[in-house]
Amino acid sequence: MIDLRNIDIGKIELRKAALIRLIDMAEAIRCFGTAAAARLLSAAGTEITPAIRAVAIVAVIGVVSAVIALTCGGFWLSNFTQAYCMSLAILGCALLYGQLGLVSLCQWALVGAGGWVSLRVYHSIHPPFFVTMLAGGVGASLIGMFWGLPALRMRGLYLALVTLMLAGAFQTLVIVTSFPVGGPGFLGQVGASGNDRISMARPIFAASDTGYFLFVAAVTLLCIFLVEAHRRSKPGRAWALIRKSEQMAIAAGVRIVFYKAWAFALSGFLAGIAGALLAGLFGQLDASAFPTTNSIVIFIGTLLGGYEVWLGAFLGGVLTRFIPALLIDLNVNTNVGFIIFGAALLFALRDPLGLGGQLSILAERFYKQLVGHLRESLKAKAAP
Amino acid sequence: MSLLPFVASGIGLGAIYALSSVGLVILYRASGTLNFAFGAFGAVSAFLAWQLTGSGVPLPISCIVGIAASAAIAYGYGRVFAPRLSHRDRVVRAVATLGIALVLLGGMALYWGVGVPRRLVLPTDLNFVPLFGVRLSVTRLIALGVALAMAGGAGLALSLTRIGLGMRALASDRHISAAIGVRVVQIDSFAWLVNGIFAGIAGILLANLNRLDPGYLTFLVIPAIAAAILGRLSSLPGAFIGGMVAGMIEAMLIASSPEIANLRSAGPYIAALIFLMIFGAGQGVGARE
Repeated sequence: MIDLRNIDIGKIELRKAALIRLIDMAEAIRCFGTAAAARLLSAAGTEITPAIRAVAIVAVIGVVSAVIALTCGGFWLSNFTQAYCMSLAILGCALLYGQLGLVSLCQWALVGAGGWVSLRVYHSIHPPFFVTMLAGGVGASLIGMFWGLPALRMRGLYLALVTLMLAGAFQTLVIVTSFPVGGPGFLGQVGASGNDRISMARPIFAASDTGYFLFVAAVTLLCIFLVEAHRRSKPGRAWALIRKSEQMAIAAGVRIVFYKAWAFALSGFLAGIAGALLAGLFGQLDASAFPTTNSIVIFIGTLLGGYEVWLGAFLGGVLTRFIPALLIDLNVNTNVGFIIFGAALLFALRDPLGLGGQLSILAERFYKQLVGHLRESLKAKAAP
Repeated sequence: MSLLPFVASGIGLGAIYALSSVGLVILYRASGTLNFAFGAFGAVSAFLAWQLTGSGVPLPISCIVGIAASAAIAYGYGRVFAPRLSHRDRVVRAVATLGIALVLLGGMALYWGVGVPRRLVLPTDLNFVPLFGVRLSVTRLIALGVALAMAGGAGLALSLTRIGLGMRALASDRHISAAIGVRVVQIDSFAWLVNGIFAGIAGILLANLNRLDPGYLTFLVIPAIAAAILGRLSSLPGAFIGGMVAGMIEAMLIASSPEIANLRSAGPYIAALIFLMIFGAGQGVGARE
């Protein structure tokens, strides 16, 4: 309890004066800014334009990444870097499911394929990191398209099963061949001792853990823009029409096979980039990190985050890595993670929007209210 | 080198796959849901049976308790979660069963632990039947028999009984079935109950034939799906034969060169992929969806 008799009246007066000065300053800024704000608001409107969305994407990922880069190190930084890679894989998965309604249960296998290709390219010619990364992306994209082509005849459950079979086959294949570690021959293996394994180098400008994390964040941002650009241009319209009705799309002259293959290629590309980034993070990859179950977890992450909006993929990736990492950090049995994911999946399925969808609806509503409110107050000011 | 011993071991492996794939196809035929949790239901049953026999309960009673637990979980899922997803497409319903599978897997791994070498021992393991120079344990023959009986029994029940007719109607079109008076929720949860019983039996046999591990038993469903694809997900004899073929393929790959032998567990998947590429999804239940 505050004893009223002890309050120093002088101090309160001082504070009041300071507050009044602050309010005066704010008023001055507002008067100066009103004209500019009025122009901006009348131009902006309450609709979410691509420009506003782009600003939101940069702001959210920029702020989140900056906070992580400033506060985390070691274990958590590595886990968040992996989380961003998972976001890329989920972005591809969400593209197929959200745009075309196709369930892909082999996304993590494609990440592995991308990692394999980039490690192979790195150990052969030691190119700059960008080249290695793009090689991983293009490699996984070609594989994704090649896998996708027979799947074009499949839809719904059968496509999901075909991709699951592919993920199963990949798991066996990669355990037998394992990832290249700089040895001779195509498979690039070294002797059993493993002492002369060569790690893949990170880019020169992002050699530190924090630097590499920021680099991964920048690549994630670029990839989100790549997908957004697709959604808003011709491929996005073609996908929407195909999803609505294939017969309609054919009648409208949309080349179904071409655009479906394009979607598979783009989703493979994103997974491949993720694989190359993971290879860069650890220097080498281990076959045991690519079980079929991880591809299933990626799809669960897609549903949890929500597949309609970019925020969903981002949140889904962060969640799928954050929960296991948190359990390890708290020294809880990691099997609890399975229970959490399973239960979350059961509830996520009842709400197709997912976490990202819910949040972006909330943000959109808030933005519209804010713009509307500002407009009203400006109008009120202009009236007298 | 004679291939006959590998044929015999393929029969043993095929029995495992056939048992699971027949169980999968039965529910798919009856309610249109592909149950990814089939392995997890079975694992619960096997673990309970193992735990109870370990603490001195007679084997038949422990097995019955295990099967009852698996049936109860399956019935609960069919009653609580399945109806809420009934309006969604087949993929979503299949993926939802992954949710319950993961919950069960996590729970079992938490309680019983992973990677512990364990096996559920049955008295029938001690008797062998020689076939092409390979000793097949009686348990494997029982598994084969159970798979055949399940396929035959369920096939007959689906085509001859009133409730089987309801199940087929339900799997074909839920709304129209409901409109003409099929008691949709009851029949659906009954199908789940039967599926849980089959999963429980299969789980106990599989934990004996291979090993008792939560992850292994839960994800045995993936090669089983490959086997079910060879039967187009809709034919019960097809699922049985598919399981046997998948087992044979794996056994034959062991007989080939050592490099290929390492890849043998990809055999069922690649067979399923080739099958789908050549024959397509066909006209089975849900093929056009």
